[in-house]
Amino acid sequence: MSKHRTHLLDRWPVLLFLLFVACTGGGSTGKKADREVNVYSHRHYDTDKALFDAFTQATGITVNLVLADDNEVLARLEREGERSPCDLLITSDAGRLGQARLRGLLRPVHSALLDSVVPATLRDPEGHWYGLTMRARVLAYNKTKVRPEELPTYQALTAPQWKGRLLARSAENLYNQSLMAAFVAHYGPDSALAWARGVAANFARDPKGSDTDQLLAVAEGIGDVALANSYYIGKLMSGTEPERAKAREVLAVALPTMGGAGTHVNVSGAGVVKHARHEAEAIALLEYLLGAEAQRAFAEGNKEYPVRPGVAVDPVLASFGALNPDTLDLAQLGLNNATAVKQLQAAGWR
Amino acid sequence: MATRHRLGPRFIGPGAAVLLALPVLAPVLVVLTAPWHAEAKEWDHVWRTVLPAHTAETLLLLVGTVGLATALGTGCAWLVAAFDFPGRRLFRWALVLPLAVPTYISAITYAALLGPTGSISLRVHGATGWRPDIVDLPGLCAVLGLVLYPYIYLPARAVFTGGLRDALDAARLLGAHGMRRFGAVAVPLARPAIAGGALLVAMETLNDYGAVKYYGIRTLTTAIFQSWGGLYDLGSALRIGGLLVGLVALLLMLERRSRRHRRQATDGPALRRTPLRGTRGWVAAAACGLVLGLGFVLPAAKLLVDAWSVLPRWEAATDLMALGHTVGVATGAAVATLLLALLLLFAWRHGRGPWVRALVQASGLGYAIPGAVIAVGVMTAAGVIDRALGLPFTLIGSIGVLAYAFAVRFLAVALQPVQGGLARQSTAQDEAARLLGASPLRTFLRINLPPLRPVLWAALVLVAIDVIKELPLTLILRPFDFDTLSTRVFEQARIEALEAAAPPALLIVLCGLVPVLVVDRLAERRTQR
Repeated sequence: MSKHRTHLLDRWPVLLFLLFVACTGGGSTGKKADREVNVYSHRHYDTDKALFDAFTQATGITVNLVLADDNEVLARLEREGERSPCDLLITSDAGRLGQARLRGLLRPVHSALLDSVVPATLRDPEGHWYGLTMRARVLAYNKTKVRPEELPTYQALTAPQWKGRLLARSAENLYNQSLMAAFVAHYGPDSALAWARGVAANFARDPKGSDTDQLLAVAEGIGDVALANSYYIGKLMSGTEPERAKAREVLAVALPTMGGAGTHVNVSGAGVVKHARHEAEAIALLEYLLGAEAQRAFAEGNKEYPVRPGVAVDPVLASFGALNPDTLDLAQLGLNNATAVKQLQAAGWR
Repeated sequence: MATRHRLGPRFIGPGAAVLLALPVLAPVLVVLTAPWHAEAKEWDHVWRTVLPAHTAETLLLLVGTVGLATALGTGCAWLVAAFDFPGRRLFRWALVLPLAVPTYISAITYAALLGPTGSISLRVHGATGWRPDIVDLPGLCAVLGLVLYPYIYLPARAVFTGGLRDALDAARLLGAHGMRRFGAVAVPLARPAIAGGALLVAMETLNDYGAVKYYGIRTLTTAIFQSWGGLYDLGSALRIGGLLVGLVALLLMLERRSRRHRRQATDGPALRRTPLRGTRGWVAAAACGLVLGLGFVLPAAKLLVDAWSVLPRWEAATDLMALGHTVGVATGAAVATLLLALLLLFAWRHGRGPWVRALVQASGLGYAIPGAVIAVGVMTAAGVIDRALGLPFTLIGSIGVLAYAFAVRFLAVALQPVQGGLARQSTAQDEAARLLGASPLRTFLRINLPPLRPVLWAALVLVAIDVIKELPLTLILRPFDFDTLSTRVFEQARIEALEAAAPPALLIVLCGLVPVLVVDRLAERRTQR
């Protein structure tokens, strides 16, 4: 091998290193601000990014963001401990917020404003976390084959008339788990198991795909009723994609109740982290996200139910009917999640 | 051997090398020792209710995927190495391309085409009344096999092209016909290379989460996430991770066994190709075309169409920034991984005692563990270091820890080819160097590594490709406001906006194509030498 060639190859490590530094900036975020707030969030929505930008515009506080999944985020917060740079934790499940509280990752925040805006059932009693938006787990059905009176409750889904007609995604899904946790909280693990068995026995096919896939499958006649989250239905119904026109035409929505209680809802919410170094900024962001303007953006942009009273529900969601949310203490969702998953697995809900 | 440390740098011996590389083992150790340090309150339930079904489906998925990938990889490699047919020159390199497509992207793209409500399925249903649906276990085996077969195609092609001429000439003289030469001579001689590739395919299949979750398949990996996120029982999740590692260790042993007592093909003159004339030539071309079409062209075309449809609202600046981050992280992580692999291989080659060999083997097991579980191990280790050093900040969320995590995860990818290359070198040359007084390190750097230069580059590039495609580690370990292409895809796919995910997905594929073609060139150069 010639000498010249060896030299060239020997310099490659240097070039690679320079490429690495140039592309990653050595890992620094680049933004250096006087006032900032560091956020770990599970909400991957464009509405959120737009709101953070608007918040920065309004207050001069920079928002630094890591988007990741809830469980991993909790593991990261735990392992970072008091060195964590995170100030505000945003998740899309009250159960996870309850877990974060149980593990001592959040701190109580006292804000008269927050307490007056967020209804008591949608926040932690001591202020460890506050709900930002509500999502309901509801039923989308083929209106040519199903009448809404046939779907008054979730329990109705276990009736033999639905054999081979139900669609849902897998038990892996968070929102199925939280619906099941609500069942456990209301009726106990045994009744919940019986319910899950009954639903699983009526599936049109093994659970697979996303919520949207279940809706499209109803439109295609693969099944007649799908369990799905309100905002996925809202997005589909307000969309314009020509290939989904059939779904928009065929689908209607029922808001079933839990029998005695209302429709199952979960919240996405946020809490200030125990070791937050920017508490004031974190609270300012929380208050901003609960302000009328931000709540309208959640409602219109992301088809979620606003938690702030007086903010209008998006017309598409409103067309589903008036939501009568289950008033179950949301902390119960977290406390019963493990039992719920066990029962789902035992019921053979894949 | 009293004189062996007389000359040359001796500041680092095999033992020290292992110590330096030990942090790579830490996360795997966290997983393997979980029964002793992590309480698993739901283990009883997991063992009785969850594991039977999840283990069964894991094994089915494994057999189907590895079987298909082996058949496609070996078959295509034999066609392009042993025959001349229309388009052979194109297929020779193009068949590597599926390597650039992440499994989760291919799986979701296929579901959008051939799932129950996929665009092709709808047309077929409209025309015939029959509804195709590949979103099930056999379908996923097919999708994964079609994307992962290049892991076998590349090494098999290298052996077929460069290592078999004498053996095949002898077989021809003995009157063996074409299929027999393939089945009785070529495949057995290439078996170590094929087994090595198949092992990588198996590990890729085992650690997949995105695709299996979407397809509703119950695997050990989904059991990990159900235990962790659903049962809030990290202890059980880690134990399942331990089972996963055990399964891979078993496969690894089988692979080693297949190597033992077997003559391995050595580099030799290039194979003379048999021309396939007329129909037979076109059949060969059609076979390669089908594999390439299904493994790469179809999913890539779908991404292209989707990306085109959302082009007006494409966030170019964000995605291009993410592209830069991706290239940077891939570069840094690949270099770090290769360096660690070399440290371990130095100890493997020049160290003594079975424990060094065992350690080197164990260090590659991270590849089978789902990224999110590796992340827990890495964060645990980093948290311990934070406290030990009394840092005012945390190392978690730094680029360095991210690169370290990739090294843990992808060490096997760098280890595998380099170890194979070293194994083919005679130990006589090491002994000669040592008798001349060179230290082990000097022998390693001056005697062992230089002939392996193409292999080292190939290892570097293979790791980079894997890093570009990786999602879960990046997602949780990244610094603030640090998007990569795969996190961009994830953010859109997560909210079920698949078209919006197409531009970054397409960029991942394009970004992976460059290194894929480099690997192909390097493999070619190696075999033509």
